Amino acid sequence: MNPQELNDWLATARNWLQEQAPDYSGKARQGLTMDEDLALGRRWQALKSDAGYACITLPRQYDGGGGTEMQKILFEAEEKTWDLPNTYFGISLGMPVPMLLRYGSEAVKDELLPKAIRGEHIWCQLFSEPAAGSDLAALTLKATRDGDGWRLNGQKLWTSWAQYSDWGIIVTRSDPTVPKHAGLTYFYLDMKSEGVEVRTIRKLAGESEINEVFFNNVYVPDSQRMGEVGGGFKVAIETLMVERYAVSDEACGGISAERFIDIAARARIGSRPALEDGEVRRLLADTLVERQGLRSIHRRAMEAIAAGHEPGPEGAIRKLLIAKRRLLLGAAAMDLMGPDALLYDSSAAQSNDPVNAWIEAPPIRIAGGTDEILRNTIAEKVLRLPQDHRPDKGVPFNQL
Amino acid sequence: MSEHMEALVMIRDQGRRLLEQAATPERQRALLDQPGAFDRDLWDQVVELGWPGAGLAEAQGGLGLGWSAVAELHQLLGARAASLPLLQTCLAVDLLVQADADQARHSEALAAGAAIACVSLFGPGEPGLPERPLATLTDGLLSGSSTAVAFAAVADIALVYAWDSGAGSPVWVVLETSATGVARSTPNVIDNARAMAVLTFENAHCSVLSIKDPVAAARRLAAAAAVITAFEQIGGMETCLHDACDYARERRVFAQPIGAFQAIKHGLADIYADLEVARGCAIDALAKLENASPQLPAFAAAARIGATAAYEHAARENIQFHGGIGVTWESTEHFYFRRSRSLALEWGSLPYWRELLVDNAAMLTEGY
Repeated sequence: MNPQELNDWLATARNWLQEQAPDYSGKARQGLTMDEDLALGRRWQALKSDAGYACITLPRQYDGGGGTEMQKILFEAEEKTWDLPNTYFGISLGMPVPMLLRYGSEAVKDELLPKAIRGEHIWCQLFSEPAAGSDLAALTLKATRDGDGWRLNGQKLWTSWAQYSDWGIIVTRSDPTVPKHAGLTYFYLDMKSEGVEVRTIRKLAGESEINEVFFNNVYVPDSQRMGEVGGGFKVAIETLMVERYAVSDEACGGISAERFIDIAARARIGSRPALEDGEVRRLLADTLVERQGLRSIHRRAMEAIAAGHEPGPEGAIRKLLIAKRRLLLGAAAMDLMGPDALLYDSSAAQSNDPVNAWIEAPPIRIAGGTDEILRNTIAEKVLRLPQDHRPDKGVPFNQL
Repeated sequence: MSEHMEALVMIRDQGRRLLEQAATPERQRALLDQPGAFDRDLWDQVVELGWPGAGLAEAQGGLGLGWSAVAELHQLLGARAASLPLLQTCLAVDLLVQADADQARHSEALAAGAAIACVSLFGPGEPGLPERPLATLTDGLLSGSSTAVAFAAVADIALVYAWDSGAGSPVWVVLETSATGVARSTPNVIDNARAMAVLTFENAHCSVLSIKDPVAAARRLAAAAAVITAFEQIGGMETCLHDACDYARERRVFAQPIGAFQAIKHGLADIYADLEVARGCAIDALAKLENASPQLPAFAAAARIGATAAYEHAARENIQFHGGIGVTWESTEHFYFRRSRSLALEWGSLPYWRELLVDNAAMLTEGY
């Protein structure tokens, strides 16, 4: 697709969103329960699929869009300007579904991919455990051979949307006698299998998408193994890398710099507008500079992808910076509002309401790579610094 | 590759090799020890490579490679903590061509590297552009003084932002530093390699530049200086990050390289993040400078703030990561520590630029 065609395509997509999105966003979502909102989200997903805007990079034969990564990025950025019920499908379509496309049999893909892409099914990603988060390879959920399949026993934790999931991808420990990275095996499984128990965890604030999932002798056929026995770590890393360029809103879902300016212009410190205060202006200047730098990085990544190149490693700083910025900016805006900001309406939009922008920010700094792990990754992969002291290396897992 | 790109690659690569040979730590230490010092040999060599005219239009005797060439060359200078008045040459010619044609001889000499310019713009006792500059023009004669100005110690001509006492408004004047009534002193400064001097004027003869709006010209000049300096700052912080990472891989304590400790790794990752934010701001601001965009003020301010803050962060922490060796005269790390602070002050300091950015915040998002 040349730049002109891409522009035309985007203009058409924009018009389509203008026509369709209002019925699925903003006012249309107000006052809905999570179940109702999810039902609306499923309809939105199906509508997008019919129009070729769902999973734009996945083949049309599975009800994907059959388009390019550039189209997907542009559409998602556009879609983010609407407040749509997409969140339930973010993980499902972001990681498990592309992995099924790579590892599933033709028959399974024909059956399951359209259902996932159209929002009829949700897939979850069963990776973290109570004692395995940043250190994924420390997981202990056991997989033992049983005839043509495997029996799973143990617990997963922080599994997003497991309470709504039909299918899941899971990493298990199939051999505890070898070093930890070598003893893992990866499967997909039916979340309605006997012995799977999902318990939703209440977060400090906001809607509860996270769960603990217990596995009590759950049977998984060997045909649902993805990758080699003992090759699960490699497939897990592949899963985390599958989305080469994740589209994220520049305010990280919180309040924008412009919203902050708006609040600061109306608040007063003594007899002056808060926007004239030096401390407020300094925070604002730092926020604008950071955003400007990230805009440039994003633009250059788009240019690289459009030219068929890999984007530079500097994209790795984005989540690290914007998650922290969201927290700081939310709290600073609350300061300017004074005691009014003590009032908490959890249904207010995070992009508009500083209270929700602040109170729901901490999980973002943890999910999908903690700030600390992101810094480690930058240090080791980009700056080529040595790994931390690793006493677990080369030692059989059951001797650690 | 276009003809211009080829020419740019050539002078850049020649320049890089030259700087690697010539801008040595020994040379830098000697320069730092002597107020008003200037690396004349290095300047003569880059003049031969055509650096002074690289960014200037062909009509001004330049190679027509534009601001992006000046930016690239300053990034090379910054990386070696070398100081040459390329930016000053471009800024001076930019001002002179806005004024009347009889300034052409200055432009030609500057483009050829036969003359060196300095620019006196910022005033004492404030971080930003002075409303009333210190040097005063009365009946065509200049009196008063500049602050410490980079390359004033060796400049042949000085562009001075002055106060026109007759009109009661700022004015741009140009004068030859050899003119009667011009004196210069070279005080000890934090970075003596900048060829800094204070110029004093006593009824000095000068030419008034016929620029319609001298204040607007001053703002535009400061913006251009901010953008190009941002690339010099980026070159400097890249060296700081590179040196700190090298040291973190080599230096061992408690039987392991210090780079294996997260306190060090995370500190270096944070410098990297600041560097890439600064680079992003600078790249976008350079495009606005090249296109003479009306959005330049906000983009230049973002580039100035991003690069200044990030360079100081990198230079400061680079010394810290080097431990005791980092605080010695023998180490090279103080070159960047000095330079980061000097560049932070030479073109208006951050309190001024933050004001400019916040006042023009909406400009950043026009057309985005």
